[in-house]
Amino acid sequence: MAEVVFGSKIMQLLIAFILVSTFMILGSTRLYSCVRAFGIQSFLLACVAGIVAYSTGKYDIYIVALLTLIIKSAVIPYIFIYIIREIKVKKEIELYVNISPSLIIGGTLVVISYYLIRSISIISELSSLALSASMSLVSIGLFIMISRKKALMQMLGILIMENGLFLGAISLTNGMPLLVELGIFFDVLIGVLIMGILIFRINKTFESIDTDLLKNLIG
Amino acid sequence: MIAQIIFQLFIIIALAPLLSGIMKKVKAFFQIRKGPGVLQPYYDILKLLQKDSVVSTNVSWIFHAAPVVSFVAVLAAGLLIPIYTTQLYLGFAGDLIAVIYLFALARFFTALASLDAGSSFGGMGGSREMFIASLVEPALMLSIFAVALNVGSTNLGFISQTVSGLGFDAMSPYQILAFVALFIIAIAETGRIPVDNPATHLELTMIHEAMILEYSGKQLAIVELGAMIKQLLIFSLLANIFFPWGIATGGAGAAEYVLALLIFLIKIVIIGITMAVVETSTAKWRLFRLPELMSISLMLSFLAIVAVIIVKGG
Repeated sequence: MAEVVFGSKIMQLLIAFILVSTFMILGSTRLYSCVRAFGIQSFLLACVAGIVAYSTGKYDIYIVALLTLIIKSAVIPYIFIYIIREIKVKKEIELYVNISPSLIIGGTLVVISYYLIRSISIISELSSLALSASMSLVSIGLFIMISRKKALMQMLGILIMENGLFLGAISLTNGMPLLVELGIFFDVLIGVLIMGILIFRINKTFESIDTDLLKNLIG
Repeated sequence: MIAQIIFQLFIIIALAPLLSGIMKKVKAFFQIRKGPGVLQPYYDILKLLQKDSVVSTNVSWIFHAAPVVSFVAVLAAGLLIPIYTTQLYLGFAGDLIAVIYLFALARFFTALASLDAGSSFGGMGGSREMFIASLVEPALMLSIFAVALNVGSTNLGFISQTVSGLGFDAMSPYQILAFVALFIIAIAETGRIPVDNPATHLELTMIHEAMILEYSGKQLAIVELGAMIKQLLIFSLLANIFFPWGIATGGAGAAEYVLALLIFLIKIVIIGITMAVVETSTAKWRLFRLPELMSISLMLSFLAIVAVIIVKGG
């Protein structure tokens, strides 16, 4: 991605901050701070998209950046907070893996993704940085889905994975066609709504959103 | 050369209580109190130096030796850290690893002395201090290593000089990750609020105060001054490794030294104010949640090292 000469320093910083925000989600025990960190991550992602749009001069990427800003860093966190308020869920997230081990596992995942990406030959160091960050986001999102008990955190995990894919796509291909991006955004939004409804249903049936209880049979 | 070394020692000892006083004043401002004057730590130390020490009859020589050993170890570390100039005349004697272990030596002796008197508070403080130290030391080392790896040397004076020569180019992801990691460590090392509360005395949550509870008079003055100097040194590590701009390099004239000294003063006051703001805006953490904070710091410095390797293509 030789065109993005402008802001390659800023891009590096933004990508580093995206990784830091992922670790903020991994390292906090409160639902609200997880949602806030996700909002920050999406905002940084929108900045990345904005820089790509500015340096390539494509208008459709501006639209993508704007959509990221509105949907991912405002609407989706709002839906989360709405769900947390409506079902009066306990604010502490419950974990299968404790905070310190999950941070260490997160770090290991980052190293593994860097190592894997290094074996692919990519021309510029910036896109290799972005690609390895995107891959670590995907794997950390998967890890959050596995290691957290609350259904809300599983929803957050899948959104982090989606953010990772978005980062990889935008930094490698200079943005996919607008129609594809619009489709993805619609999918994400509808997905969040459906998962929200699912969480309401889980809460209604089990009086908790702890996914551990889903193993129990209910007649 | 000897005059330079002595001047650096003098600057460290003279500025440390001032920094402490400024931080207390800022905290008082945020708590809408008037607070003691900025010069109060000097008066406290002068007052303590005029008093006799009361020592338990059960203590061994360690209790008497510990304040001196810790104080000298911290001062020696001060000669290896760039304060206002990157020209360290004793830089050949040790690098950042020596600095970390000099801090560890000071801490070890303070913890030993806390056990020596046999009071339950002392033992509690000592065990907590070592618990935190075991978490802080690897993170401290890793975070400075990230910068050292980037520059290609572990000599702190050389690191500072190189980074200041780079200008704005030095602001890279690993630099910022390592800075955040080192800032968290600085909170723990200087005993600030999420970890320890420097304003408490005789509370169950205290760590550093519990260790020095048995000391009085001149010995207490030395211990307190040592803690203030350690705080100043850690802040100057933060300032001069990550933002060394304005520091005097070798062969500078007298006017440049004065300017560098002023800039250094401004930098540590800004860091001190930031620290005081962080301290007033957070609540103290439970002791057993501290490993989480430290593993965040450890992970950030680890990421910084990974980023250095990625960008440099090592």
